[in-house]
Amino acid sequence: MSDALPASIGTVVIGGGVVGACVAGFLADEGQDLLVVDEGRGAGSSANAGSLHVQMQSRFMRLYPENVPNMELQLPLYPKAVAFWRELAGSLNADFDLKMTGGLMVAESQDQLDFLGVKAKRERQLGLDVEILDRAQLDAIAPYFGPGIVGAELCANEGKLNPLLCNAAIRSWILARGVLLAEGVSVAGIARSGTGFAVTTTRGTVTAGRVVLAAGSGTRLLAAGMNPAINIPAVAEPLHMNITEATAPLISHLVQHADRMITLKQFGTGQIVIGGGWPARQDVPGGHAEVELASLIANASLAQHIVPSIGNLRIIRTWAGLNTSVDGMGVLGAVPAIPGLFVAIPGDAGYTLGPLSARLVADVMLDRKPGEDISPFRPERFE
Amino acid sequence: MSGFVIEFEGEPVQARAGESVAAALTAHGIRGFRVTRSTAERGVFCGMGVCQDCLVEVDGVPGKRACMTVVDRPLSIRRQRHGAALAPVSDAMPPATIDELAVERPELLVIGAGPGGLSAAIAARKAGAEVVVLDERRSPGGQYFKPVAVAGDDIAPPDAQHREGLALVAQTRAAGVVIRSGVSVWGAFQRLEFAATSDKGETRRYLPRAVVVATGAYERAWPVPGWELPGVMTTGAAQTLWRTARRLPGRRVLIAGNGPLNLQLAAELHGGGAEVVAVVEAAGSAMRAPAAVAAMALAAPGLVAQGLAYQWRCMTGGVPMLHDMVVSAVEQRPSGLAVTLAGGGATRVLEADVLCLGYGFEPSNELLRALGCRHDHDGTRLVTVRDADGQTSVAGVYALGDCTGLGGARVAAADGTLAGLAAAAGLGHAVGPELARLGRQAASAAQRHRRFQQALWDVYRAPALAIAQVPDDTMICRCEEVRFGAARAAISDGLADAGSVKRATRIGMGPCQGRYCRPLLEALIQEATGKAPYETSGFAPRPPFRPVTIRDLAGKP
Repeated sequence: MSDALPASIGTVVIGGGVVGACVAGFLADEGQDLLVVDEGRGAGSSANAGSLHVQMQSRFMRLYPENVPNMELQLPLYPKAVAFWRELAGSLNADFDLKMTGGLMVAESQDQLDFLGVKAKRERQLGLDVEILDRAQLDAIAPYFGPGIVGAELCANEGKLNPLLCNAAIRSWILARGVLLAEGVSVAGIARSGTGFAVTTTRGTVTAGRVVLAAGSGTRLLAAGMNPAINIPAVAEPLHMNITEATAPLISHLVQHADRMITLKQFGTGQIVIGGGWPARQDVPGGHAEVELASLIANASLAQHIVPSIGNLRIIRTWAGLNTSVDGMGVLGAVPAIPGLFVAIPGDAGYTLGPLSARLVADVMLDRKPGEDISPFRPERFE
Repeated sequence: MSGFVIEFEGEPVQARAGESVAAALTAHGIRGFRVTRSTAERGVFCGMGVCQDCLVEVDGVPGKRACMTVVDRPLSIRRQRHGAALAPVSDAMPPATIDELAVERPELLVIGAGPGGLSAAIAARKAGAEVVVLDERRSPGGQYFKPVAVAGDDIAPPDAQHREGLALVAQTRAAGVVIRSGVSVWGAFQRLEFAATSDKGETRRYLPRAVVVATGAYERAWPVPGWELPGVMTTGAAQTLWRTARRLPGRRVLIAGNGPLNLQLAAELHGGGAEVVAVVEAAGSAMRAPAAVAAMALAAPGLVAQGLAYQWRCMTGGVPMLHDMVVSAVEQRPSGLAVTLAGGGATRVLEADVLCLGYGFEPSNELLRALGCRHDHDGTRLVTVRDADGQTSVAGVYALGDCTGLGGARVAAADGTLAGLAAAAGLGHAVGPELARLGRQAASAAQRHRRFQQALWDVYRAPALAIAQVPDDTMICRCEEVRFGAARAAISDGLADAGSVKRATRIGMGPCQGRYCRPLLEALIQEATGKAPYETSGFAPRPPFRPVTIRDLAGKP
């Protein structure tokens, strides 16, 4: 949409990534009129690498041990979020290259395996389908690991998908439902106006009855600028990703490590995507993230250490994207202090949780009872 | 003749020591190298390590560019099949950190050993700077000099252009410059950090105090149905086969494009024994632009004489010159490539074994863009913003030659001297009166050769590619095998920027990193939306700028 924005609309969704787009899609399915405003094009989701995370990521547990109780609070949502992706593929009649092949978190020492054992026990209590495998059991289902791997935690609920296919299908869906999509448009401020809002953008002001903040880490500043100011302590995590050229099917699982930062998986294209939390640099808050050589070296060399045969593959591209982290949980629902304002930040694994989180927020906006208890994720918990 | 017997798919092939695998196989009539996802064969296209279409497996190691792999021992070569299985590996290397990479901290790093880079290195060294030159090819000289890499009684000796290159390389070495050949610089990061991997698989980090980027150019795409067929290659690729390996690209060669390089190639291949079916020039005859010819003669009489000599050799050799015509389609027939030419409302079909396309160049500016150097888009291509001494918008980064916009080898050499002196001065070295005089001479030579280049472009002025006329079933992205129709469909779905079309269609996601499709996609977007391309409208620069093997990042076992 390159022309002027509408003067007024029912709902403005700020952020056109997977969450904002899906909120808009679910509301448009019910006949509501919406405008999605996105500073970039496809927002953060354009950089996602397609892991469907379920088990607690050792990276977050290590980085933010104080968040572990919150991570456990949201954990039961994860397998449901993965199942919801599958439902969405069905209802959109789209091919997401979605594979529910399970995830392996590998260990290189008895200590690491013990850590996984403790983690798995807790996860089982919270409803996840996990088990600990020794090396022989691992080789039976994943005969490609290097000599240093002693065992792994298998989480049957995990999988992967190709975000490029998902984003394209979701975009087609919402455009077909009549959602207006304004890309390359920034929001300067949101003022309350009558019973609604006046959203000032780089392409004019739009009045709307309701506003959804689905701008990832950008939500923090938008919320802080409201009257009254709303505290949503979302921070951007600039992360590094790599992709190789194609090879024959080799790695069916989503692979992680108990003590090192990595995700490793193979797309249907045959390409292997290597990521897992190595930092990118972001010189200006809110600006573009740039890849760093240190992360490329560390991430790629770790990948061949875990799966040696991919050492002969070539990396053809790297990129950086922004993950959003809050307190180990998502921020979902209505903001009580400002009627008509909603927040939709999914949580640590934003893409995995994206469509289900959007569904839950859309349900609240449609005055339906969400299918899950979202009270732990209420936006006012930081006040 | 010294040589080796190499194997291709189990069949023996006699190769010359020092030639590329691509040259050896081409000389034996082998044109199909990599096999794509759709099981189509691809051959040598760019001949300079850019397009990734000549990939082969060498001694079991996948992903080797045949054009960049030198025959220095008996080799076993196989076609690189898309998505081929990996051989099991048991010797995992430990995870590495950046601190384990070898680091070099040259005072001045020069990237590219063509006429511009070498001239910059000489000038900076003379002013007292410690200079390291990195170059991807096995021998320095770049795409202009293309040094002869083979030896033997049956090998035509170096010509004047070769000898000029050898002299420049010798002068560079004599000045005390370190030249490292076979080293690919694939990463450029903030604060002048560079990553490079050698053809032996060793990765190093370079942390220079200043850098001169002289990475040249590669040929633009000429997208017509069939331009991805084996046997269709760039003029530069055919010239590399002949000038470096003394191998002909084929028996019957059709050369088509716009500009004097096509004429030079025709003269060289004719002299080497090929049947040059025709030279097809998009521009009219030079006789239609007498003022421009006169301007060229005034600016650089030697170059005009050289051009006339090429023309004379073609004429006396009976090579037909077809003006005001372009290639509009290529088709593989059992007897060879059927090439359709169009112009003036007429078409005709010529048959050849090899079609060379030389329709102009595109700057190799990815390192400069990654460093954050500002660029302007002149409507056709990006031009690096820099001052008369080559200083870019980023402190300590100098740039010159075809990677900054196009100007040819002579302009690059002159600008190289200026940039080398400026870089040395910026590093605190005194530029004495003798060097200052050298600088003034270079400045005036640069000016003169720019006038020549401008007049040359006037002589060769031809209609631009009519992007609207390219049929939907024509390949736009060679790597991912995406056709124009898919690009047009995505744009008419409302995707109005290159990045979004890339993510929706996979255009530009292959190993060449969008070098050929990106300008085509931008032209399609401009045609559909009226939005002219600008500095950042193309694909963002993403390292590695050459695919890099994971093993080569992990150090040695």
